[in-house]
Amino acid sequence: MAEPAPLGSESPASEAAGDFLEAAMTRPRADAAVLAVQGEVDTLTATLFADAVAELMDAPETTLVVDLTGVKFLASSGLAVLIQAAHRAEERNARLRLVVTTRAVRRPLEITGIDQLFDMHSDVHDAIGGDD
Amino acid sequence: MTRADPEYGHLAPLLERYSSLEPDHPDREPLREELVRGFLPVAQHIARRFSNRGEPLDDLVQVATVGLINAIDRYSPERGSDFFSFAVPTITGEVRRHFRDLGWSMRVPRRLKDLHVSINGAVSELSQNLGRAPKPSEIAEQLGVPVADVLEGLEASEAYRSSSLDEMLSSEQGSATVGELVGEADAELDRVDFRLALRPVLSELAERERTIVLLRFFGNMTQTQIADRVGISQMHVSRLLAQTLDRLRTRLDPETRVS
Amino acid sequence: MSDLDGSSPAETLDGASTVEVRTSASAALIPTIRAVASDLAARADFDLDAISDLRMAVDEACATLVDVAAPSSTLQCTFLVRSERIEVHAQVRAGHPDAVVSTDTFGWRVLQTLADDVAVHHEPGSGGDGPTVGIRLDKRSGDLPR
Repeated sequence: MAEPAPLGSESPASEAAGDFLEAAMTRPRADAAVLAVQGEVDTLTATLFADAVAELMDAPETTLVVDLTGVKFLASSGLAVLIQAAHRAEERNARLRLVVTTRAVRRPLEITGIDQLFDMHSDVHDAIGGDD
Repeated sequence: MTRADPEYGHLAPLLERYSSLEPDHPDREPLREELVRGFLPVAQHIARRFSNRGEPLDDLVQVATVGLINAIDRYSPERGSDFFSFAVPTITGEVRRHFRDLGWSMRVPRRLKDLHVSINGAVSELSQNLGRAPKPSEIAEQLGVPVADVLEGLEASEAYRSSSLDEMLSSEQGSATVGELVGEADAELDRVDFRLALRPVLSELAERERTIVLLRFFGNMTQTQIADRVGISQMHVSRLLAQTLDRLRTRLDPETRVS
Repeated sequence: MSDLDGSSPAETLDGASTVEVRTSASAALIPTIRAVASDLAARADFDLDAISDLRMAVDEACATLVDVAAPSSTLQCTFLVRSERIEVHAQVRAGHPDAVVSTDTFGWRVLQTLADDVAVHHEPGSGGDGPTVGIRLDKRSGDLPR
């Protein structure tokens, strides 16, 4: 198999190749953008994940949230995407907020220490809530 | 897939030709058929991966083949990517959608749902007491159930991926996912092979009712979309679906119940 | 599951149960292999974090190997299940004579973090075949200080 699929290279947050990995961006508040991701982030879907996260990081809102509640698997390719996003957030003088509820996501972030790069929250309301 | 691939290599030039043809070109139809035939083992393989969830394999292969056709239609070789890395997620997506639209989570036994909730509780408690993640045996001891049950519960919470058990268990989200109707019927139907039971009822329905039920449960359509398609109000669709489910419930034979 | 080679684990001399999974060396089949990994770890009573770690480590190893695998070759993944640990050998036939698994990547660092022990092995090919490239990893059931 060659490269990961160019899924959603045109519209990363849309249906593209079905719900193998789904990513949808919402703006629950004028100054907050939330990217909700569902599915498995692995070598097959990392490109799609990267595109969706890149779109979030380009958003003008001041509060940026990646909601990983629906993610059932997170490989190093997905961790790499998140690290990159953390650096982009830093350039904008912000911290990316992650919503993490499952072991499948929390464990990889914690064991690699990558959780330190983010504001971790256990639900979306909490994540878009408090000022930082 | 590369041209050197003994099984599928010969299809690569056909794919290229197919995607280069105008939509109304006479060669398109036969070429598409050949491609579908050629890649069918891929669809079959993916269908088999889902065959332990209680749906007939034939039906799954059919759904996977629809996904394969979509993949063939939408694939563009000039983007430089491998066909498989495009087709596999597309086909898998189609099969997953099929399960979601069926409201297949209804068939998760109540016992397993309850177990899922108890396991989550036990895991939190044990993690706190032990200062580390618990083992399946420890969870079993805490709950006073066999380890096999815990394994089954853990497996379930892993395997139900995107249309997850969690979604269904949190009441407000659950009904939104599976549909208000299915939400109501859930308690009744959760041990029933929905499709098996639905078949005889379907054959008794008037054509319009049958269309509505088919669109709702076997197509990709919401009540509003069905209303537009059939030319009646969404309320009417909702009523007809409710009636059909009622009928289904009263017809349920003990023999169609699976444990 | 059609990809499982032998459904009942066989016993090796040192008492380990062996499960071997063979798939096309394709990224699309790695989810199947990692499902086998979690299942084996759960049945071996690994703690939930260790199950998650093994699943991710196996995914990482397989993804790394699929990257260098020859077209239409096979990915072979053997699990040796012992009482307190699972040893995994994954290997493919590489597409290029000088193919190597590079160990200075982010993915490899993650793999080292997840597994208790991990190593690469390369064997030169013979008779026109590419070299065999493999990754061996070891994961303990948890509990023990790493």
